[in-house]
Amino acid sequence: MQFWLPTVFLVAIYRGQKSDAAMMRAIMLLALLVAPASCQREERDLTGSVPEKPAAGIEQSVLHPGDGNNPAPARSKYEETAFDVAEGKRLFQWFNCSGCHFNGGGGIGPALMDDKWFYGSSIENIVATIKEGRPNGMPSFKGLVPEKEVWQLAAYVRSVGGFVAKDVAPSRNDDLNAAPAENRAPTPSPFNGKGP
Amino acid sequence: MKDTSPPVTSGLRDTELDDATLDRLLKKTWETPKGLYGWLATVDHKAIGRRYIVTAFIFFLLAGLAAVAMRLQLAVPENQLVGPDLYNQLFTMHGTTMMFLFAVPIMEAFGVYLVPLMIGTRNIAFPRLNAFSYWVYLSGGIMLWVAFALNTGADAGWFSYVPLAGPEFGVGKRSDFWAQMVTFTEVAGLAVAVEIIATIFKQRAPGMSLDRIPIFVWSMLVTSFVILFAMPAVMIASTMLILDRLVGTHFFNPAEGGDALLWQHLFWFFGHPEVYIIFIPATGFVSAIIPTFVRRPMFGHLAIVLALISIGFLSFGLWVHHMFATGLPQLGESFFTASSMAIAIPSGLQIFCWIATIWGGRPIFKTPMLFVLGFIVTFVLGGLTGVMVASVPLDLQVHDTYFVVAHFHYVLVGGAVFPLLGAVHYWYPKVTGRMMGEQLGLWSFALIFIGFNATFFPMHILGLQGMPRRVYTYMPETGWAGTNLFVSLSSSLLVAGLILFAWNAVKSLKSGAAAGDNPWDAPTLEWATSSPPRSYNFSRIPVVSHREPLWAQRQFLDVVSGLRVDARELVSGTVADAAPQLREPSVDNSIWPFLSALAVGATFIGSIFTPWAVVWGGIPIAIGLIGWFWPKGNPEDEE
Repeated sequence: MQFWLPTVFLVAIYRGQKSDAAMMRAIMLLALLVAPASCQREERDLTGSVPEKPAAGIEQSVLHPGDGNNPAPARSKYEETAFDVAEGKRLFQWFNCSGCHFNGGGGIGPALMDDKWFYGSSIENIVATIKEGRPNGMPSFKGLVPEKEVWQLAAYVRSVGGFVAKDVAPSRNDDLNAAPAENRAPTPSPFNGKGP
Repeated sequence: MKDTSPPVTSGLRDTELDDATLDRLLKKTWETPKGLYGWLATVDHKAIGRRYIVTAFIFFLLAGLAAVAMRLQLAVPENQLVGPDLYNQLFTMHGTTMMFLFAVPIMEAFGVYLVPLMIGTRNIAFPRLNAFSYWVYLSGGIMLWVAFALNTGADAGWFSYVPLAGPEFGVGKRSDFWAQMVTFTEVAGLAVAVEIIATIFKQRAPGMSLDRIPIFVWSMLVTSFVILFAMPAVMIASTMLILDRLVGTHFFNPAEGGDALLWQHLFWFFGHPEVYIIFIPATGFVSAIIPTFVRRPMFGHLAIVLALISIGFLSFGLWVHHMFATGLPQLGESFFTASSMAIAIPSGLQIFCWIATIWGGRPIFKTPMLFVLGFIVTFVLGGLTGVMVASVPLDLQVHDTYFVVAHFHYVLVGGAVFPLLGAVHYWYPKVTGRMMGEQLGLWSFALIFIGFNATFFPMHILGLQGMPRRVYTYMPETGWAGTNLFVSLSSSLLVAGLILFAWNAVKSLKSGAAAGDNPWDAPTLEWATSSPPRSYNFSRIPVVSHREPLWAQRQFLDVVSGLRVDARELVSGTVADAAPQLREPSVDNSIWPFLSALAVGATFIGSIFTPWAVVWGGIPIAIGLIGWFWPKGNPEDEE
């Protein structure tokens, strides 16, 4: 009965060869057979910049939040990948986002851990906010922060708000901890009847 | 749960039965029923021991394949075959599987199979716990490898140092799976340790006083005590790690009053005895094989037993030598240098006793003996580099280099795998009733011995040249390319030898020469019964009056009588003299250990994702344990 284990292993070795799309599909199929959970969570894209193109139209978005007609955007792979969210957590400090937003509780800039989103809470909205800036203080970081890192930052901001799955959200830092880590944050209730 | 054995008030004894009737009745009482239910419910130590051995060898194969992948990657500089992320998982899975899922379980497995036979009893103590431990071990191992197949393989090294494996840098669930795998295997390991200690202390055949216990049984006894005191440390550590990661405790967070070095202390307080948990049974194999193949009793039996016990004690006083590079106080470093060198004394004592035994006998160079000789050579080399890295100045230079990799493969493969392969050849006829092929055995030994040395000896040089361990590639300018290519090519010899060994083992199952009860003319009790042993091990429990019972009484063995044949019973005796005290009932087959193990496994896996799994998982575990311990109405304590 244990004979399937070597098969699993050989498949896992082949997984490294990304070019082989058929093999990748076979692996995904096998993964689906072995366990229902997909493991986007564990991907680690170390190849540098592979930016995910934002959906067309987001960058021209109006200043008010969704008018109810926008289709819910698909979840980005960045907010489903633990590595990217954790990178975003580091970048959040390194780019001094905490200078205004503090550790998500808000200060000079608005809080990120509550359920109030002036410009939309989807990752595309947050990416647009980082890149384009917003009135009354949020600067534009377009061209200053690499595209991939913007997405990682946005994924982290989503986790601060509790919108990221608990097994993907970062745990505590080896540091002084003023509040529970993102993987223990409560999921916010829908705002004005709209889901996050 | 149906209880098939009717309550018996006045049991039939074996006193006045002829041999055929006795065997028929004992078979009815002890046999494992056919079919899936019997397969899942059996508590026969031989069935479980066989399973443990086969499963551990499958994990050995998987970990070996991981090593092959690493050697392919390192064969040439700047190789693109395996990326850094997968490489991290590969070396972690290799080390973790070899240590937790292969080395320790297989040593315990040999104990589970052999100890009851060698001391002349019918089953291990706590047989249901034994079944439970196997299922827990199996689920832990499968969990780790399924996680690896899903790109969630542990990737922080087999000792998972924090902060790398901690909540900040060990992102995702990889280290959680590692930590829970530790919990699985340690639960299984502790269970087996308790069983073996109780079996050896209380169930020895009448007359097998302490000075007549075979050395292999002594080695399992010492190992079990080491397990008992070492493994809780790593269970606590891995639980702390998972708590840090999952619920945000601060055990290893210096900023909040925790301590990152606490991990290293707790881990190595287990991790160093772990080496001896693997090594002590291996020396037991050697001490069982040598007398048989040199045709004389062991030279210095008492000295070897005392050496085993002192290794057991000393193994707890060395752990800091893994941590010389952490900046400890100098007094501590000096102390642990001294204690590390001190353990060479009992180890050396054993080696001299073995050499003296071989010297004073007439060696027969069959495959098991060849592996023992290979062990002595290889282990002495590993021991010498061990004395080298025990000294702080040298250790600081070679820490985390391939020198250390070479050293511990010499002691672990040389010190444990060589005796293990010898032991497989030696006891294969007892377990299967057939001999392994001698010609293939010779070839596999030659390939493994040459392949091993050609693979790992150059790693000493690579380490001294500065090649760090756990790097997925290196630059051509480093000048390590030629040696690495040589190592990778040599490893194919080692692999070929292991494939030959596996082929030999599989082929001999069907076509090996019939073995008979005692093909090697060996002196210990396991050779007094049939090959393979019947479900009740011995028709009548032997009485031991000599250290080598089968050599002292060649025609017939004295036996005791008076045990019931219509219910499972065995002889329980005093700890020191093995004077019979009780007819002790032994439990029947049960499905509940399997079900309990499933519940425990589901709880452990669930607790990787939410702490609430511990609460909700408590319910099925409680149901499992209630079913397990539900009174059966048998008059068990009538004596």
